[in-house]
Amino acid sequence: MAETQFAESQTIRVRVNGQEYEREVPVRRLLADFIRHDLGLTATHLGCEHGVCGACTIIMDGESVRSCLLFAVQADGAELQTLEGLADGDDMHPLQQAFWDNHALQCGFCTSGFLMSAVDLLDKHPRPSEEEIRHGLSGNLCRCTGYANIIKAVQAVAEQSQS
Amino acid sequence: MKPAPFKYARPDSVDEALALLQAGGDEAKVLAGGQSFVPLLNLRMASVESIVDLNRLDDLAYIKRDNDTLRIGAMTRHRQIEVSDEIRAAQPLLCRAAAEVGHLAIRNRGTIGGSLVHADPAAEWPLVAAVLDAQCVLRSQDNSRTIAAREFFLAPLMTAIEPNEILCEVRFPVAPVGAVWGFQELCRRPGDFAIVAIACQLTLDDGGTCSTASLAVGGAHSTPLHVAEVEPIISGSQGEAAVMTAAAEKAAAAVDPSGDVHGSADYRRRMVKVLTQRALKEAWAQKRKRALQ
Amino acid sequence: MSREGTGKMLGAQVRRVEDPRVLLGKTQYVDDLVLPDMLAVAFVRSPYAHAKITKIDVQAALTKPGVACVLTGKDILETIKPLRVEFDTQKVPFHKSCNWHVLTPDKVRFVGDLVAAVVATDRYTAEDAAELVEVDYEPFEAVADMESALLADAPLVHEEWGDNVMERLEAQIGEVGKAFQEADCVVSERFVTGRHMASPLETRGCVAQFDVATEALTVWSSTQVPHTLRASLATLLDLAEHRIRVISPDVGGGFGLKAHPFPEEVVVTYLARALRKPVKWIEDRREHLSASLQAKHQIVTAEMALKSDGSVLGLKARFLSDAGGYSSYPWSSAFEPKHAAGTITGPYKIPAFSFETCTVATNKASIGVYRGVGIPIAALTMERLLDMGAQKLDLDPAEIRLRNMIRKEEHPYTTLMGAEIESGSHQASLQQALDILGYDDFRAEQQKARQNGRYLGVGIGSYVEGTAHNSAVFDSFGVKIGGYESATLRIDESGKVTVFVGTHSHGQGHHTVYAQLIADTLGVALEDVAVVQGDTQATPRGWGTWASRSAVTGGGAVTSAAQKLRDKLLRIAARLTEVPADDLELVQGAVQRKTGAVRLLSIPELAHRIIAQPTSLPPDEEPGLDVTVAYEPPPITHSNATHVAALEVDIETGQVQLLRYIVVEDCGTIINPIIVNGQIQGGVAQGIGSALYEQAVYDDAGQFLTGTLMDYLIPTAADVPQVEIGHIETPSPYTLHGIKGMGEGGAIAPPAAIANAVADALSPFGVRVNEVPLTPERVLSMLDRAQTNPGTE
Repeated sequence: MAETQFAESQTIRVRVNGQEYEREVPVRRLLADFIRHDLGLTATHLGCEHGVCGACTIIMDGESVRSCLLFAVQADGAELQTLEGLADGDDMHPLQQAFWDNHALQCGFCTSGFLMSAVDLLDKHPRPSEEEIRHGLSGNLCRCTGYANIIKAVQAVAEQSQS
Repeated sequence: MKPAPFKYARPDSVDEALALLQAGGDEAKVLAGGQSFVPLLNLRMASVESIVDLNRLDDLAYIKRDNDTLRIGAMTRHRQIEVSDEIRAAQPLLCRAAAEVGHLAIRNRGTIGGSLVHADPAAEWPLVAAVLDAQCVLRSQDNSRTIAAREFFLAPLMTAIEPNEILCEVRFPVAPVGAVWGFQELCRRPGDFAIVAIACQLTLDDGGTCSTASLAVGGAHSTPLHVAEVEPIISGSQGEAAVMTAAAEKAAAAVDPSGDVHGSADYRRRMVKVLTQRALKEAWAQKRKRALQ
Repeated sequence: MSREGTGKMLGAQVRRVEDPRVLLGKTQYVDDLVLPDMLAVAFVRSPYAHAKITKIDVQAALTKPGVACVLTGKDILETIKPLRVEFDTQKVPFHKSCNWHVLTPDKVRFVGDLVAAVVATDRYTAEDAAELVEVDYEPFEAVADMESALLADAPLVHEEWGDNVMERLEAQIGEVGKAFQEADCVVSERFVTGRHMASPLETRGCVAQFDVATEALTVWSSTQVPHTLRASLATLLDLAEHRIRVISPDVGGGFGLKAHPFPEEVVVTYLARALRKPVKWIEDRREHLSASLQAKHQIVTAEMALKSDGSVLGLKARFLSDAGGYSSYPWSSAFEPKHAAGTITGPYKIPAFSFETCTVATNKASIGVYRGVGIPIAALTMERLLDMGAQKLDLDPAEIRLRNMIRKEEHPYTTLMGAEIESGSHQASLQQALDILGYDDFRAEQQKARQNGRYLGVGIGSYVEGTAHNSAVFDSFGVKIGGYESATLRIDESGKVTVFVGTHSHGQGHHTVYAQLIADTLGVALEDVAVVQGDTQATPRGWGTWASRSAVTGGGAVTSAAQKLRDKLLRIAARLTEVPADDLELVQGAVQRKTGAVRLLSIPELAHRIIAQPTSLPPDEEPGLDVTVAYEPPPITHSNATHVAALEVDIETGQVQLLRYIVVEDCGTIINPIIVNGQIQGGVAQGIGSALYEQAVYDDAGQFLTGTLMDYLIPTAADVPQVEIGHIETPSPYTLHGIKGMGEGGAIAPPAAIANAVADALSPFGVRVNEVPLTPERVLSMLDRAQTNPGTE
C-alpha cells in the first residue's frame, strides 16, 4: 500500500444521484461548492457556510450531512444524493408533492435542505410525532414560512406511508 | 467564507495517521467529524498548514463493553451513540447527551472524540466525560497514555493533548447498580450550545438514599467542571429540598463563568444553581419512576 | 374551500404555480449563474468601528496569482458617485444628508465598512488576497449607543454635521396639554427594541457582465427592486440607464432588506465594465450580519393620558432611533421613527398626540427597512401602554381596547396623522381572536396554574397595517419614488396570456395570484397565464415589491390591463358576431353570449384575427393585443388584525414558552387563502424572532458580537408554534376587488402581544416589560428589578 502523503489537490470519484463523476479538486474546496460549481448541481444552496442554516443539507451514504462542513475530497468514493436526484424524472417524490400541496415553501432557498433533512428524518423515524418533526428539522432555518406548513407536509407523508 | 489553503492527507490506519501528524509538526491538525472545526476554518477564525483526516479510520469507530467499562472509539458518530442499544443498557446518560448534540445532520457526522478534543466548555461530551470520570486514551507515534477527562480539559478549546497525539478511545464506567442521573441543559433554541448544562449521576439504595454522587457543570466555567464539593452534601441524603439547595449553592460557588451575548457571567452562575436543583430532582424522580415500574 | 374549476379564481385556494420548478431544483438564484471567464469579488472590510485609513498597500494582494484587480476608495473617488439620500427641505426640513462612498476613501464608520474590493479567478483566491491587503488605521473613539451619540462630547460620525443628529421632527396634533391636565390616569414607559435583521436565507449578491459589442451592462442581482437598482446604477456610475439591464432572478427572500440599492452592487457593476469580464459577488453570512442593513432599533419614551373609563385622551412620545453609520436609499435611515410616529395610533381613536422623532448616526451598520418598518415598536408602545392603563384602572385589557377602537360605522376614519382608514374590523378581529383562544377559560387556567407556581400569561396586540402607499404619499414623505405599478399584458395568437409586471416575487407567489386575477378577467385557465417579472428589459418601469404593495398595486395593474384587453376582445367580438357587447362575456377560453350561455368563438380564434388578420377588424380598432397600464392605488390601503399570544414564563430561568398564538386578520378581499395564511405564519415567525430571540449586538467600542447564526438567533421549527388564524373580509371601497395588502402584518404585533403576555404572566410581581427581545436573562432581570422595587408599576 502506498504511503499516504499530504496533497494540495486530489482526484476524487463520487456517485451523485446515480451518476459517476471523477474530478480533480483542490483539497480545500467545500463539498457544497464542488456539487454546485464543479458538477453544476445548483439545487443545493449555501446560506451560512458555518453549519447552522441547513440549506446545504444533502444525503451522503444514506445520511443527511451539511455539505458546507465537508471538503469535497472527503466524499471520495461516496454516494451522494441531492435534490436533483429526489424526483423520478418529473414525478415528484412524496415529500416534494406534499410540500407543494401544503404550501410548504415561499422563496424556495431553504427548500432543498429541508427536503433532504426530511428524507433522513423519515428514514430514521417513519412515524414521527409533531414534536419529533419539529426537533428533527430544527437544524434547518426557514425565514419565510414559519415552518407550520413544512411540518404539515412531513406529517402528511408519514401518514401516507402508514396507510 | 471559504477556508484558507491547507494540505490534506487521509490515512487508512491509525499508525499512518500518527506518522503524518508527526511529519506535519505543530502546524498539522487532526480532522475528525469537522462539525466544529470546519466552521472555524470557513470563517477563517482558524487556519492550518495541513490536515490529517481521520474519517477513514474505521478502527476508531466502535462501541465495546469490557465488564464495567464502555469503550467508545473516538471516531464514533454522535448518532451511533444516541441509538446504541448497548450504550442505552450500560450507561443511558450517554444516549441522552448524544441526542442533545446539535441537529440530526450534525450528529450523523460529528464524533465523540472530535467534540472532546475541541473542548468547548458548553458542549455535551466534555460535560458527560467529566461527570462520569471518563478516561481518554491518547496515542502518539511512540507512546500511548490514558488521562482522566477531569484532567484533560485545560481551558476553552484547549486540552492536554499534544500536537503529535490522537485521541483514540474514550472509556466510560458502566452505570453501577442503583445509578440514576439527571441531565439539564438551558439553551436558547434546540441544538444550540448550552448556556449552562448540568449532568449528575447518583447511586441510590432501595430506600432512595444516595451512596455516591457526581455532578458536573458545562457552560459556566473555562472547562467542564466536576464539582467534587457537592458530593459529601448529597451522599447520605434522600434528596431533601434543603440538600438540593445546598448542593446547588455549592455548585454555583464553584464556577467562574464568563459572559457572552447569550448570557452574562452572573446569569450563568445563577442558572448553575437552578439547573443543579433540577438535575438532582430529575435523578431522584428516575428512582421513583423505576420503583413504580 | 376550493373554487377551482368553477371559473372563479378570486379567493380560490389554489396551489402555487411556481412551486414545481422549485421543488424539482430548477430554480436559478444569483449564485447559480455561471458565465465564461467570470471573476469573483471579496471585499476588504473594516475591523474597526471608527477609524481613519492612513495607508492601504495592495501590492502583496495584486501579485498573488489569480488576482485581477484590487480597487480602493481613492481609485474611484472621481468615477463613482456616493450613495446620498437627499430630501426636498420643504418636506423634510431637518434632515442631514451624508455621502455613502461605495468604497470608503478616508474614514471607516462601522465594523464591516467597505475598504477595498479584490477581484480574482474565484472566491477562494479572492478571500486569500483580501487577507493580503494591508490597511493601516488610526482608530478613533467610537459612538455605539444612540443616547451617547447625543452627548455634546460624542465622537462625530459625520464631522460636517457638527453633531450626530441625522433628522429631527416635532409635531403636536390636538390639545395634548389639556388631555394630560384632564386625565384621571397617566401611564408612561420607556420602550426599547433590539437591532433586528431581515436576514433572508439567501444573502445579498450580484453578477455583472459588460458586453463589449453593445457597451451594455447586464446585472443579475438578488434584489426586490430591479428598476430602482438600474436607475441608481446609472446615476452613480454616470451611465445611460438604457444601457443597463437589471435582472432579478430567483431571490431567496428579502423582507425589505433587498429593497435598497447597495454599494457592493455599484462596485461589482463598475468592475465588470472596467475589467471587461463578468464579475460575481456573493455575500457571506458574516458580511451579511455585520455589513448589510440592520433594522428597527429604537428607544421610545411615551406617556398616555386616560379617563377613568379607559378612553384615551392623549399621547406623547419621543422616538429616538439609531441610524448607524450611513443612510440607506431611498427612504433614508431616519424613516423608521417617522413611520413609528405616523402609525402609532393604530386602530384607536386618539384625540391628541405630540411627538418628537430624533435619528442619530452611530458607528454601527446602517438601518434599512424591514418588514413592518416602525410599526412593530409603535404597536409595542401603544399596546403596552393600553395594558398598563387597563391595569391601573382595573379594566380588562380587551375591554380598554374595544372602548378605544374605531368602530365599523366610523369608517372611513381620518386619523390624527391625516391618514384615511377606509374600512376595517377592529373590534370584531379582537373579539374573534379572544374567542379562538377561549379567553375566559384561559384566565381560569391561569389562576389555577399560579396556585401551582406556574406563570401563564395572555397578551393582545392589535394594529392597522398601512399598505401600498401611492405616489402622493411618498411625495408627502419627500421620498422620490412612485407608488404606482405598471403591467403590460399580451394575448398571443394561441390565446395564451403573458403579463409583464414591475413588481418582484421572492416568495410571495405573485405568479399564482396575478394569474388568478387575470384568469377571472379574461376567462382563461390559470396555466394559460405566464408572468414575467424581475427584468428591466422585459417589464415596464415598476417599483418592485416591498411595503405589502404588490397585491394592491401589481394586482391592480394586471387586472386593469386585463380589463382593457377584455373590453377590446368583447368590442371586436360584438362587431364580428353582431351580438351587443354587453351581452357577451369571456368564459373558459371563449366569447360567450350571456343569454343562453352560447359559445360564439374561441379566444384563440378571436386573438388570431386581431393579431394576424387585422384587415378583418373594424376600422376604428387597432390591431394587436398588447396593452400597458400604470395603476395608481388609493393613498394608503389599511389592513387590520389582532394577535393574541398565550405563554408560560419560567420564573427561575426567565425562559418564555409560547403555548398558543392566534391571529385574526382582515386584508379585505382575499385572492388566495393559502398564500395569505402563509404570509401570516411566516410574518409571525419573524415577529417571534424580534420578540424573543434576535438582536444584532455591539459592545461599547462598536465591535460587532453577533457575526454568525450561532449568535444571531433565528427561530427554528421547534420555536414557532402553529399560528391559529381567523379571517374577516372587509373589502377596501377603493381598490380593485377590495384587496388590501398584508405581507408585513404577521411581523408587526408579536413583540406587542408577547410583551403583554409576559407582563400578564408576571403580574403578581408587578414587572415592567419594556424591552425586546425578551431573552431569558432580560426577563429575569425584569423580575429582579420588580422584586427590589415592588409596586413600581
